[in-house]
Parts: sequence; C-alpha cells; structure tokens
Amino acid sequence: MKRRFAFLLAAALIATAPGATAATPDDQLVVGMSMNNITTLDPAAMAGRESTGIATNVYDTLVRLDPIEKTKVHPGLAESWEISDDGSSITFHLREGAKFASGNPVTADDVLWSYKRNVELGLVGAGVWLSFGFTPENFDQYVRAEGNAITITLPEEGDPRLLLYMFGKPDAAAVIDSELAMEHASDGDKGQGWLTTNTAGSGPFKLTNFTANDVIVLERNENYWDDPASMTRVIFRHMPESQTKRLMLERGDIDVGLGLSVPDINALSSNSDVEVQPVPGAGFYYLGVSMKDERFANPKVREALRYLIDYDGINATIMPNYGVERQRPVALGVLGALEDPGYALDVEKAKALLAEAGYPDGFEVELLALNEAPFLDAATAIQGTLAQAGIRANIVTGNGNQVYGPMRERNFEMIVGRGGGGQEPHPHSNLRAMVVNPDNSDDAGLSGVIVWRTSFYDEELNAMAAEALTIRDTEKQADAYEAIQQRLEEVVPALLIFSQVVDTVVFRSDVEDYQNHYGWTTRLEEVHKDR
Amino acid sequence: MQTRLWNGLTFLGSIAVTLLGLLLLTFVIGRVMPIDPVLAIIGDEASQQAYDRVYQQLGLDQPIYIQFLRYMSEILHGDFGTALLTGKPVIEDIARVFPATVELATLSILIGVGLGVPLGVLAAVRRGKLTDHVVRFLSLIFYSTPVFWLGLIGLIVFYAKLGWSGGTGRVEIFYTGIVQPITGFLLIDSAITKNWDVFWSAARNIWLPATILGLSSMAYISRMTRSFMLEQLGQEYVLTARIKGLSRSEVIWRHAFLNIRVQLLTIVALAYGGLLEGAVLIETVFSWPGFGSYLTSSLMMGDMNAVMACTLLVGLIFMGLNLLSDLLYRVLDPRTRAA
Repeated sequence: MKRRFAFLLAAALIATAPGATAATPDDQLVVGMSMNNITTLDPAAMAGRESTGIATNVYDTLVRLDPIEKTKVHPGLAESWEISDDGSSITFHLREGAKFASGNPVTADDVLWSYKRNVELGLVGAGVWLSFGFTPENFDQYVRAEGNAITITLPEEGDPRLLLYMFGKPDAAAVIDSELAMEHASDGDKGQGWLTTNTAGSGPFKLTNFTANDVIVLERNENYWDDPASMTRVIFRHMPESQTKRLMLERGDIDVGLGLSVPDINALSSNSDVEVQPVPGAGFYYLGVSMKDERFANPKVREALRYLIDYDGINATIMPNYGVERQRPVALGVLGALEDPGYALDVEKAKALLAEAGYPDGFEVELLALNEAPFLDAATAIQGTLAQAGIRANIVTGNGNQVYGPMRERNFEMIVGRGGGGQEPHPHSNLRAMVVNPDNSDDAGLSGVIVWRTSFYDEELNAMAAEALTIRDTEKQADAYEAIQQRLEEVVPALLIFSQVVDTVVFRSDVEDYQNHYGWTTRLEEVHKDR
Repeated sequence: MQTRLWNGLTFLGSIAVTLLGLLLLTFVIGRVMPIDPVLAIIGDEASQQAYDRVYQQLGLDQPIYIQFLRYMSEILHGDFGTALLTGKPVIEDIARVFPATVELATLSILIGVGLGVPLGVLAAVRRGKLTDHVVRFLSLIFYSTPVFWLGLIGLIVFYAKLGWSGGTGRVEIFYTGIVQPITGFLLIDSAITKNWDVFWSAARNIWLPATILGLSSMAYISRMTRSFMLEQLGQEYVLTARIKGLSRSEVIWRHAFLNIRVQLLTIVALAYGGLLEGAVLIETVFSWPGFGSYLTSSLMMGDMNAVMACTLLVGLIFMGLNLLSDLLYRVLDPRTRAA
C-alpha cells in the first residue's frame, strides 16, 4: 500500500512538474506577505501598512497622492477641487455616475456619512481629523455638501494643502457605501463588525475572500468608474517567513513579495528574474532619550549623544534596504526639507561635552530596542560607540509592546525606535509626530505623539510650526520650515535621527507598472504582466 | 451500579475541575503578560482617545475577577467570544484551522510510527552491531536538528531546486477555495468530491512538512522502542522461549513486542498530542494555516478569547489521549483490570 502510494505520488510529481513558464496565471497577481498585523479592513479602524495597502485598492478617496512627485495630487472620486482664497476651506466636486461595487451610486451623502462615522468612532483613522480640530460635535458645522459639491472648512487656522492630502488617505477618508454598511450594522456600530472582514467600496477591486492569516482575494470590480483593473484577481497569501517568500519568488510561484528581510533581499538582488524596488518611506529610525531623566534634560548630554552615533557606519552596514541616511525629522523631498547637517562620530567632542555637563566618566543607561533587525543591530552599534565615551548602555530587548509600551508611558531612559509620520507629503506630517508637543504634562496622555513620549518641549518650536501652517506663499512657507529645522538643531532634540525608513518590494521582472507608495497606499489597478 | 455511577461522576468532576484550573491559570498568565492587545489593534502611533475607547470595548477596564467571571458565564452559554485577529467567532476559527493541523499531524505520526517502530525493534535486536549504530545515529540526527532548519532546507532542495514539492500552504494558490470543507481534511474532501487536481496539489504540498515532522517523531519513537525492547529481550522468558525452540522472529514479535505495546502506545499518544498542539515552527516555515500558527499569533497579540479557547482544546486533547491510553492499558494488560 505504502509503496503504491509512493509510486502514485512520484507519478503525480512528474505529471505536474513545472515547465519553463512561471507558475502564476497571466491575469492574476499573487502577493506574498505577512498578515499578522491585519486585524481589520475597516478603514476607520485599521492601523499599519498591510491593511492600508489592501483598503487602498478596494476603497476610493476623493484624491490620490502621487507616489513619486510628492506634492502632486490626482483626482479620485472628486473630479476637481478648489481651495478658497483665504485658505480656510476646500470644495470638492464629486464625479458624476460613479458606483460602488454593490451597484449603489456614490453620493455626497456617502462621503459625509463615511467621514462622520470615522470621527465618531474615534479610532485610528480619526487621528488626523482630530489634529485639525474636527470633533463629532462640530463636524456638521465644518463639513457640508450641496448637490455634488462638498465643502470642508478648517475649524482652526491651518494649511489647506495638508488638509487636501488627508483626502488621499484611506484610513482617514475612504468613502464607504453607507447603504450597504448600514444593512449590516448591529448595536449602533455603524457596520464596524461587518466591515472588519467585508468591504463596501467603489475602488478598482472588491474583496471576495478574507481568511485571516491565510489568504485575501480581491477581484476586479466591474462597476469601477475608471478604466477597469488590468488583473482579474489579486491574491494575497500569508507568508510570515521571509525565506519562504524568497524561495517562492525565485520559483515564480508568487509575483510580489512584501516585507522580506534584508539578507533575503540582498540574495535576490543578483537574480535577473526579479526586481528589487527600494523606496524612501514614511518615518525615521532614531535614538530617543527621555528628558524626564535629568541627565538627558541637559542639552550638553544630548549633544554629546549626537556625536556618539556612527551615522556613516550604521547606514553603510546595517541599514541598506531598511533606511537611508537622514539626520533631520523632515522627509526627503517635501517642502523646505534641508540637507543633512552632516553630523559624524566624534568621540573627543562628545567626551568634552560630557565633562562640561558633569559626567566626565560617563554613566550607566538602559537602552530599549526591538529584538529584530535592524533595531537590535543599530542598538548594538550605538552601544559600542557610547562606550567609547564611557556611557555604559545595557540593551533590553523585547517585542513591540515591551519596547514601545514603556516609552508610551514615558517610563524609559533610552530607545532605538522607528516612527514619525510622513504619510502625507508635507513637513508638518513629520513635525506633528517628532517636534510639536502641544501639552507636556503627564495627564495630557498624548502617547500617540512620539515627541511627547520623550518629554521634549519647546514653546518656540510649537509656535513656529503653527505659524508655518498659516503661510500661503510657498516660498515663505519653505523658509519657515527651514527655520524650524535649524532651531531644532540648536536646542538639540530628544530624538536623534540617523536614518529615514526605506520600504523595499521585490517582484518578478515580468510584473510591470508596480510602483510602491511611500504612504503605504500602493495602487494595483494598472499592474500587469509582460508575457 | 451505585459505585459505577459515583465513579463516573467523580471522573467528570475531576475533568471539570482540571479544565477550570487550566482556564484560570491561562487567564491570569494572559493578564500579567507584558502584551497589550489594544496596541496590537490600534498600532503604536494611535491617540490616547482611540486607546481608551478600544480598552473599554475589550472590557479591560473591569477588575480581573469580574472579567474572568464574565468570561466563564459566556463560556457556559457556549459563547467563546470573537477573535481580535479575524473578527470571527473563535469557535469558527478553530473549526477552520484545527483540521489542517490534524491532517498534518496524522500523516506525520503515521510516518513516525511506520519508520520508528520497526527501526527501534531492529536496533534492539542487533544491539551493538552496525545496524544499531546506523539507526541510533539517524535518530540522533533527526532528534537534535531543529525542524525549522530542516523545513527550510527541505524547501530549498525539494521545492526550489527539484520542484518535487508544491511549496507552502495547504494547496497551490489557485486551488484555494475550490473544495468546500466537508471534513476539513483537504485530502479527503478533494477525494470525496473527485477534485483530483486539487487532491494532487494538496498531496504535493503536504508530503514535505509531514515527512519532516514524521522524521523527528520517528527519532523519538525509535529510541523509545529500542530501549523498551532491550528491557524485554534481557528477560528470562525470552531465553525460555528460545530454548523451547521458537523461531527468532516469533520470539521478537509475538512475545517481546507484544509486551511493550502498552508503553509504546503511551509514547505515541503523547507524540501525537504534541503534534496536534501544532508544530508552530513548521507551520510558520510552510505558511501552513493551522492551529499552531493561530495559537501563536493570538498569543503574540494578547488575543485572550482565542488563547483561552485554544488552551481549553489542548487540555481536552491531552486529557482525551490520557484517557485513551488508560483504557487501552486495561484492554491490553490483564494485570490492570480490577478483580
């Protein structure tokens, strides 16, 4: 029996042995990625790049942000828009004749319902709305529709372009089929339960299968208002192990691999069958300190730390495909982004600064780092250079909860971390995470704001950032952002940046028009295969 | 009759107490673990308002004993709650992932027993000879090599280089969802519905992880078999049987081997139980959508509803296996039967 089974198995293997052609069909895209962080596909509740990447292709937004030219904005569900002369409001003109995947028409009511739902649920997607001053109470006053014109007025003075960018982000501004969602609502949850694993969008694809940590299937939405998607299906498959993704890419059993580890990316770089696409992404890698700690409240000590990071060495050996060298908290390529100040490892200078601060022999410190690449490697490198000036760092590693948890509670000394906004192509997107601290009291509970966690607070920088948002003249606005970056170097921040995040995607060479988006919103409708 | 009923009741009572203890322990561990399910849901850069809202939604603002009592009362109503990760009832999730693991574990244990028992007997009989050394060396290799590494090497050789294996997952991507689960075992379901292409694809995908797990349980089973057999072969009844003129193979299989059946069953049952818990590493390497990876990712997220239900199931499995080997002892070993 056993022998017969073995024989049959061998026969089957021979019969199905792959030929020279790649294994995936011409009209379907297969993506390998880890789904461990996909807990919901409800745009208002989702957090993280994987769910955003899927929602982007199922839900429409009023506008779309260009993946390359950062300040370019393309029409989405809105055909056109204008910003009022005084910069206090934007009016969008909704496209005629757009339909949801269900066949229901896309109306201004759907748009308003989706936004209000988001603000009222108060989950992750509401964050950006709240930062502009929108609340469930004032929503109806500031967001209005007349026919097909939707007018959004800023509750507080700010930059209307920053507001415009928000309408390209599905977590903040996905337009949901309100009729379909309310059919599935229960206990006044506005469809939240149902939308966790089902979708109600008008984008180029619709969700047909969601099996957590296994497979997600998107099919072409035949009701899509624009040119239909090139692919009939996009299949996302859960592959937590980077090595597995690499092997399947080499064999051509998946077309696209997301989130591969750098050793695997390096191994694939020399393979002519695949393409490696690194794109500067959102956020930074930083060495952060808590200014609740009297040692780090001293600017001399923070400045000493600035000269104890081997920027060139870390970026050359540890960070390739994870990050590119960057020392300022403003993403490369946005308005007013300055060149790096050019800090480098300088142990003598650091020692002198430490002596001035009263720590000629250095001190002991606890350094938190995630127990994965590149955090642990970067922390180890920093530990080595700190030691040269007598600072003895004990590295404590753990998972995200164990590392960022204490930081959120403002209960840490030193950390190597990643974050800092940047999903909108605007310097303020970074500054509101890394520089602007609206309230430095412990009770403020701004644990979502990285700079608040470090207790760094500079009244003048807050004022400068608020001021910069109100400048309408682009050139003057750029100057204002340059001034902010320069002041930040003088006061020495608590977040010492050494790298800007890079997202690297690997795909088969016959995949065309795949363009990874820095804001996690990679669009797949034009992706096709050249076979 | 009275005593039998009483025995039955005490038995059920002890099971209930064990499970309750298990749940309580898991619950407490889950709550003191430095894992915050809220952060897992909302991400690291969410606002405090969002955090508080989800914290309340999960009922974490209640004292821990209230949380536990609430959980227990829901369980007694047959409601095991919803998993954070999938947004579906935990029971539905387990019904989906458990068969995948049972299928893999069953094939693995068949390979493990099929190879391990004969090899163990052979090694015991040829003690100290070349065969014995070869068997011991092999079992040492498979016992001490991490399955994780074997899995990756297996994929590189049999999938990437030779193309004999279908790669990762239960079935090739395009056969996903064609066969509706009847038993949940893909090989059986596809055979029943005569979807032979799906069947072959599933076979191509399962043989490699099953063989790797099977070899590592083979290592354990053959070592145990060898030592049980050696114990028997050194006893006087074996010598007596040989002197009486029974053939060598008769003595080995009819006498000595029959006497180790019971011990062997316990070992195999425990090995099987271990496999049913989900061979997490293999499930990760092979992207196998099974119980082990479900339990692990739930644990990483602090998804207590899922973790508790999984723990309960694992507890039930081990109790069941213990009960089974107890019963088999009674059947196979006359000495244990009550007079």
